[in-house]
Amino acid sequence: MPKLTIAEALRAALREEMARDERVFCIGEDIGIPGGWGGAFTVTLGLEKDFRERMIDTPISENGFIGMALGAALMGLRPVADVQYGDFLLCAMDQVVNQIAKMRYMSGGNLCVPLVLRAPVGATGRGAQHGSNLEAMFLNVPGLKLVCPATAYDAKGLLKAAIRDDNPVLMFEHKLLYGAKGARAESGSVDASSEIPAEDYVVPIGKGIVRREGKDVTVVATLLMMHRALAAAEQLAAKGISAEVIDPRSLVPFDWELVGASVRKTSRLVVVTEGPKTGSVASEIVATAAETLIDYLDAPVVRVTSPDIPDPFAPPMEEFYRPSVNRIADAATACVRVR
Amino acid sequence: MPTPIRMPDFGTNVTELKISRWLVEVGTPVHRGTILAEIETDKVTMELECIADGVLLERCIKDGEMVEAGRIIAHVGAPEALAGAVAAPAVAPTTARLRPGSVEFLLDLYRRMLLIRHFEERVKYLFLEGVMPGTIHQCQGQEAIAVGVCAALGPADVITSTHRPHGHAIAKGLTVKSLMHELFGKPTGCCRGKGGSMHVGDPAKGMIPAIAIVGGGVPVATGMALAFRMKKEPRVAVCFMGDGAVNEGAFHEGVNMGAIWSLPVVYVIENNRYSASTPIAKTVRLKNLAERAAGYGIPGVTVDGNDVLAVYETARAAVGQARCGGGPTLIEAVTYRITGHSRRDPCNYQPEEERKKALAAEPIGRFAAHLMADGVVDQAELDRIRAEVDAEIERAVESAIAAPDPRPEDALEDVYA
Repeated sequence: MPKLTIAEALRAALREEMARDERVFCIGEDIGIPGGWGGAFTVTLGLEKDFRERMIDTPISENGFIGMALGAALMGLRPVADVQYGDFLLCAMDQVVNQIAKMRYMSGGNLCVPLVLRAPVGATGRGAQHGSNLEAMFLNVPGLKLVCPATAYDAKGLLKAAIRDDNPVLMFEHKLLYGAKGARAESGSVDASSEIPAEDYVVPIGKGIVRREGKDVTVVATLLMMHRALAAAEQLAAKGISAEVIDPRSLVPFDWELVGASVRKTSRLVVVTEGPKTGSVASEIVATAAETLIDYLDAPVVRVTSPDIPDPFAPPMEEFYRPSVNRIADAATACVRVR
Repeated sequence: MPTPIRMPDFGTNVTELKISRWLVEVGTPVHRGTILAEIETDKVTMELECIADGVLLERCIKDGEMVEAGRIIAHVGAPEALAGAVAAPAVAPTTARLRPGSVEFLLDLYRRMLLIRHFEERVKYLFLEGVMPGTIHQCQGQEAIAVGVCAALGPADVITSTHRPHGHAIAKGLTVKSLMHELFGKPTGCCRGKGGSMHVGDPAKGMIPAIAIVGGGVPVATGMALAFRMKKEPRVAVCFMGDGAVNEGAFHEGVNMGAIWSLPVVYVIENNRYSASTPIAKTVRLKNLAERAAGYGIPGVTVDGNDVLAVYETARAAVGQARCGGGPTLIEAVTYRITGHSRRDPCNYQPEEERKKALAAEPIGRFAAHLMADGVVDQAELDRIRAEVDAEIERAVESAIAAPDPRPEDALEDVYA
């Protein structure tokens, strides 16, 4: 089986889905310019050679082309729209929130909106307007499905599932996980590559996965934080603490069955997400756990997140902003020590 | 299905009919009104007008051949039907529901405008009486734009609408009953009570739920046109918007993309001269909003939006151009809202003199006078139409009030497919 990075796996998914279904097309900025970059992170590199008519390079008009993706989806196509940086989704909030997410509902179920939005997130040395983690903002928007793959296997399988889904799916991709070598070797990047099976597969939306089994504490973590949580689990193991690491893979719908089963086993819950703490994805997960799993919890639920500040530029400040392996390990240790 | 073009019957005095000259080659895009051929009778030479949009698929008669009235002499239809043709421009299925200029066509325009006006007036009083929930934005005075534009569209063409959508819905063929039920929040409404006044629509009729964010429909209509282009479907999207929309970023982004890709979309600005209560002179420096088109390199046309036939002709040309690959047109239809922006708005910001002039120029009375002056209808016919329209609206009101309310928990459905 070939080993692919997330960028390569996403490209393979797009290539296979466009070959399988002629309704699928890509729309965005700099995605299919011959001699260009294949989007900001090489995901669509070279696809224009095989799918010239279905790689729509747009002006810099996020609200415009995301609204167009909606129109095309309503007329029977299956667009995959990407923004170069997730932060630019904010230029398109009317289309994403007011139009895309609500169109089916307002129609009384007469319409469906089969489209995918891809958004790179995560603080990566680019300062406050190219590094936001926007996942939490969209948790509050019913009508959207949200997915956040942390490995290349999941990236390919979730993108395929998203393209085949009849609902709008917003996929968050972490900039430090696209690839750890060559053009994608950024400071802090992590190898998230996977062996990719030759045969067609999807990763079902709404299904999480246990990345590491454990019995003392459940650590739920997404995207880059999932990789840091795995590293923290190694540290914890050396101290005799057995951490179970769960990668939810989807935020909406969320795999409560998996997290609930784990918490009932460990009785302790730590949730790790990148981005400001207040109103974070972690906040929502611990709130629901506190509401529904209180009888099983032996310690207060814990959030490990960024502080409530914009993402800073200077590398030491940025590293302070992103939860580190040590912070995750310390939080889990403290949680386990509560008697 | 291809539309047959028949030799017209010029009456009993004409005995010899000859196609003296075809003017359009097979495979050429045509629309209603395109002159297809010259016909020579024993008395005069006349022009044969096309009655459908599409491409000329076939000429059944040669130049100079004699033909009897009623015989099929050509076919017009979608380009896919063209033998051996792959690269023909996208065109539409027939929209020739009624022949333009025929009495039936003119009366249908009148009837639709009146249906919108009386629907809006009835709804207004239902609100003022406290019978109807929610809020409303009404289009009294603007009926000619919705009706004129939609008369230039076929059933497969689609529209986007605004927070002021009732007229567009009726013009595009939604029933008064399905709208009235929706306004009352009934599960029998066109959006099962989940849309309400500002989001009425019916995809089966070519109208997606109305978009109540000003300018929000511009990118969406443009994207629908992109889909038609990519799927090689001979359909056109029309985006209705108010004058306020031209100051939204979405307008700029959407129109620009429609323009650069020559998409089959027509942008229709209903310039009623007020953004809510703010007069247009305070928000735009241009004299005509159609001048904005120059910024995108597309044609811009300003038309009297209270003249239903002028609107129809303008829309027909723009739709025909869009369908044949000629790209978008920005139509500014100048009108006046002779009712409030929303419920209970007394319009104190509209100068008295201006209102008086606008009322005198409102489109329905004007069109009725035109029809009577031309001898197309008499007062009795207009009265008959009015009675029919009012009866249809009353039936809709009665059935909407009688219809059961939705179950509260039905609110949980239709979020996801």
